[in-house]
Amino acid sequence: MTRSALLSIVAASLLASVAFAAVRPRYGGILRLTTGVAPVSVDPANSTIDTLATRNIYRLMFDTLVVLDTRGKPQPALATSWQAEPGDQRWHFQLRPGLTFQDGTAIGADAVAASLRAANASWKIFPTGNGMDIECQSPEPSLPAQLALPAYGIAKRTAAKLAASGAFAITRWDPGKKLTLTARDDYWRGRAFVDSIEIEMGKSSRDQMIALDLNQADVVEIPADQARRATAEGRHIANAGVDLLALVFSRDARSADESKLRDALAMGIDRSAINNGLLQAQGEPAGTLLPNWMTGYAFLFPAGLNLAGARRMRAETLAVSSWSLGYDSADPLSRIIAERIALNAHDAGLTLQLANSAPPDLRLQRLPLDSLEPHVAITRLAAKTGTLLPKLGDDSPSSLYAAEAALLQSKRIIPLLHVRNSLGLGADVRNWMSDRDGTWHLEDVWLGAEKP
Amino acid sequence: MSFRRKLLAVFALTVSVSVGSVAWIVLVLSRHAFERADAERTAALVAQFRREFQRRGQDVVRRVEAIATSESVTRIALALNRSAPDYSSYVGEARALAESQHLDFLELIDAQSVIISSAQRAARFGYREESLNFSSLPGDAFLKSEELADGARLALSSVREVRVGDKSLYVVGGQRVDENFLASLELPTGMRAMFYQNLGTGFSPPLLIDASGVVRRAEPLATLIKEVQEQRKEGETNIHWSSDAADDEIVHAIPLAGQNDQLLGILLVGNARRPYVELRRHIRYAALLAGSAGIVLAIVFSGWAAARVIRPVEQLADAAREVAAGNWSTQVAVTSADELGELAESFNHMTKELLQQREHLVQAERVAAWRELARRLAHELKNPLFPLQLTVENLIRARQHSPEQFDEVFRESSSTLLAEIANLKAIISRFSEFSKMPQPQFQRVQLNEIAQNVCRLFQAPEDGKRIDFKLELAEQMPEIAADPDLLHRALSNLVLNALDAMPDGGKLSIRTYQKGGLACIEISDSGVGLTPEECQRLFTPYYTTKTHGTGLGLAIVQSVISDHGGRISVRSEPGHGAAFLIELPRNLDKLEAAQQARSTSNAYS
Repeated sequence: MTRSALLSIVAASLLASVAFAAVRPRYGGILRLTTGVAPVSVDPANSTIDTLATRNIYRLMFDTLVVLDTRGKPQPALATSWQAEPGDQRWHFQLRPGLTFQDGTAIGADAVAASLRAANASWKIFPTGNGMDIECQSPEPSLPAQLALPAYGIAKRTAAKLAASGAFAITRWDPGKKLTLTARDDYWRGRAFVDSIEIEMGKSSRDQMIALDLNQADVVEIPADQARRATAEGRHIANAGVDLLALVFSRDARSADESKLRDALAMGIDRSAINNGLLQAQGEPAGTLLPNWMTGYAFLFPAGLNLAGARRMRAETLAVSSWSLGYDSADPLSRIIAERIALNAHDAGLTLQLANSAPPDLRLQRLPLDSLEPHVAITRLAAKTGTLLPKLGDDSPSSLYAAEAALLQSKRIIPLLHVRNSLGLGADVRNWMSDRDGTWHLEDVWLGAEKP
Repeated sequence: MSFRRKLLAVFALTVSVSVGSVAWIVLVLSRHAFERADAERTAALVAQFRREFQRRGQDVVRRVEAIATSESVTRIALALNRSAPDYSSYVGEARALAESQHLDFLELIDAQSVIISSAQRAARFGYREESLNFSSLPGDAFLKSEELADGARLALSSVREVRVGDKSLYVVGGQRVDENFLASLELPTGMRAMFYQNLGTGFSPPLLIDASGVVRRAEPLATLIKEVQEQRKEGETNIHWSSDAADDEIVHAIPLAGQNDQLLGILLVGNARRPYVELRRHIRYAALLAGSAGIVLAIVFSGWAAARVIRPVEQLADAAREVAAGNWSTQVAVTSADELGELAESFNHMTKELLQQREHLVQAERVAAWRELARRLAHELKNPLFPLQLTVENLIRARQHSPEQFDEVFRESSSTLLAEIANLKAIISRFSEFSKMPQPQFQRVQLNEIAQNVCRLFQAPEDGKRIDFKLELAEQMPEIAADPDLLHRALSNLVLNALDAMPDGGKLSIRTYQKGGLACIEISDSGVGLTPEECQRLFTPYYTTKTHGTGLGLAIVQSVISDHGGRISVRSEPGHGAAFLIELPRNLDKLEAAQQARSTSNAYS
């Protein structure tokens, strides 16, 4: 081997080691998150704020019995297996042995049962050795997927504090302001890469963006209308889940004329303009509650502008349409979209008055898709909007289609857009991953450089 | 009303009217001056506000110009030249640009009037802007109505065209004309700006704003606003916000039109009148105070001046009263050399002349009285002398011619001579008695008692005449100091005269009463009465209307009454009787003098 060849081999080895070092996971560091929400409690059973951020914060602290894979299929977590009795009303779950809460106490059947009872009082839960039986009030074929929701995270509740069962332990909690979590070394799936996570709460979008630019935050929320600009300005933007933007009426239509007016409104809204202009193409026009990638039938429901049809529908009825439209007054984008909807409605011959003082006739709502499992997701959406979901016969696609079609036919909900959630990531954040339902995997994230 | 008061009233009235007139003139002149100054100030303020409004408009023009020439707008204008421009990328541009230039409104509009981006209403992108006429763009700022989700707003706007290639991009920016806009105007103290947003028909109070928001009481301005709405020209009125004139405000209304000459707003410039009203009040109070002080001083001065003028006159009046009371020797001091001084000198001269005249008169009367007395005395003495002469001559003839009868004649003549001599002695004795009238010895007496005694003495007539005595005595008659004997003698004399005047009987009344501190007694009869001439001479010594009598009775009565400091008068008509009235002072001060005199005489006796 010549000298030059030897040098070449050494140089190649050094380059290879550097390249490996760049992708090799690294332990340590503090991951800093900011969010606009400011919950006063981190107990998932007492959650009053349901956003992408809160759901993922719960997941950091509280493991669920089951998790969903990318296809929405239940996978073992704290429960290793489960079995439904005939009729899908009573289920048996077998717990993973040897697990502990952050205070060292075992995650036994009794503790899990107590945690689930706090989350859903209608269930009858019977601990059975290292497992438990859950008896629902009605058949629940998708109970395992339902138990994957963050609301059913397992927590040990004492009078003073909560004990986490997940990858991170609660170190400090300043309600509504800051939450500090520390990686648990004894976590059953292995220790997270970062040492701790600091979550600043109640921050405005502007403050979050400034914190990101000043490297004072590693993960921030980016409003949909600013995601494109942020990307164009060179920031690292990650998509994290989809929310449904919809108009939700406060009550059922009382007459055929009112149903026609609601149809006219649904047809008269220019969803594409809202998406392209106001949301900067961060969403997709929606004619259904669940996105097409989840159900496969959403394309059957029209989502385009049909102003002529809307006007014709409006002209078919002599009923007076003057609705008050509510929106999230804390969200400037929500107000602008509501204004646009009012303009579109005016074009169709309908009158919408923006109002937030009194309970409005209909409200512009942004609803997170809680689960990748469509039956659970639509059930949750129906629950959040206060609408009655027709009974799901089974967990088949046809049953889901029939239920959603019936729900839309009730005219209580007008789907508008499926809006992607965006997060701004700092330059040091490595291995960021999130599921299509917006679930973060922060336990797999590591930081590329030491923090000062 | 006394002359002093009249003079004081005239002086005070004259001075008060003068001072009041001056105060009124000052007030009127000051009011006119203030009104003129007020109008000038309002005009100046309105002009200042116009400049301020114009300056703000120029500021908006500059800001819009800055945006129109910015890189962002140029980039958007360039994008418009592409075959299929994507407007959605620029929806949020207007808001960022507006924030950069502190504009409340900003819209980016393409040549087809399609809104590319709107800061004030982002939801309007893709819609057409119908309210602007882009074919004739104004260079200056103009008023524009902006349709927002919660209603229309007014803006001071400007439009700039950005032309890149063959496509135009219009930048329409403005600032909201609201309470903040009004508050940002630099206005002098006492002035405020209000703005009526003419966004509907008629007058709507919530559309009237000032620097603090919606004007709470807009109704008083409704008339002015409606007037401007109808006539489209400036107006001005004085608004009475309350019954207090200090709350008044002169409001000048300026119509503001938009690009299409549409009346979009009415600017109301209020000029508070409080400083003027209060200043005017101060002047009024000062004038009133000065006027009041002037009137008071006028009264004081008038009093002093009147006193200065009146005092000599009053002294003259007092002196005249003294003269009227009989003190003819009264003199007044001559204190000045003016007309009053001359009047005083004349008065003194007059009293001096009166005194001299009286002396002459007294002397003449005295001479006349003595002549009369001599005549009467001669007459009285002549009557007995003639028989004496005849008796003596008869004795002489009897001795010469009839000595035998001489003794008998002598006896008869002697008795006659003695009788006539006795008569002469009686005449001389009465004359002597009259000349020796004693001085009254004062003591406390009751006039009623003396009257009763006199009445009792003469109630039983000696000659059988039918005399109807009537005694009327006052119930409460004060004691007086008098000599009871002399009074009794005087009254008796009067009663005797009355009886003599009624030879055939009649009525005789004695009445006592009080009058002004005087004790009065009146003796009246129903006799033959007296003629005025008789009344005048009645008290003259030796004057009598009777066939018998010496004529000294009433003279003695007058003397007695006079010695008591009193007065006697007679009232009579022939055939209707006569009434003698005696007025006596109480003379209580003479009691002490009498007692002292008595004690002194006792001490030496």
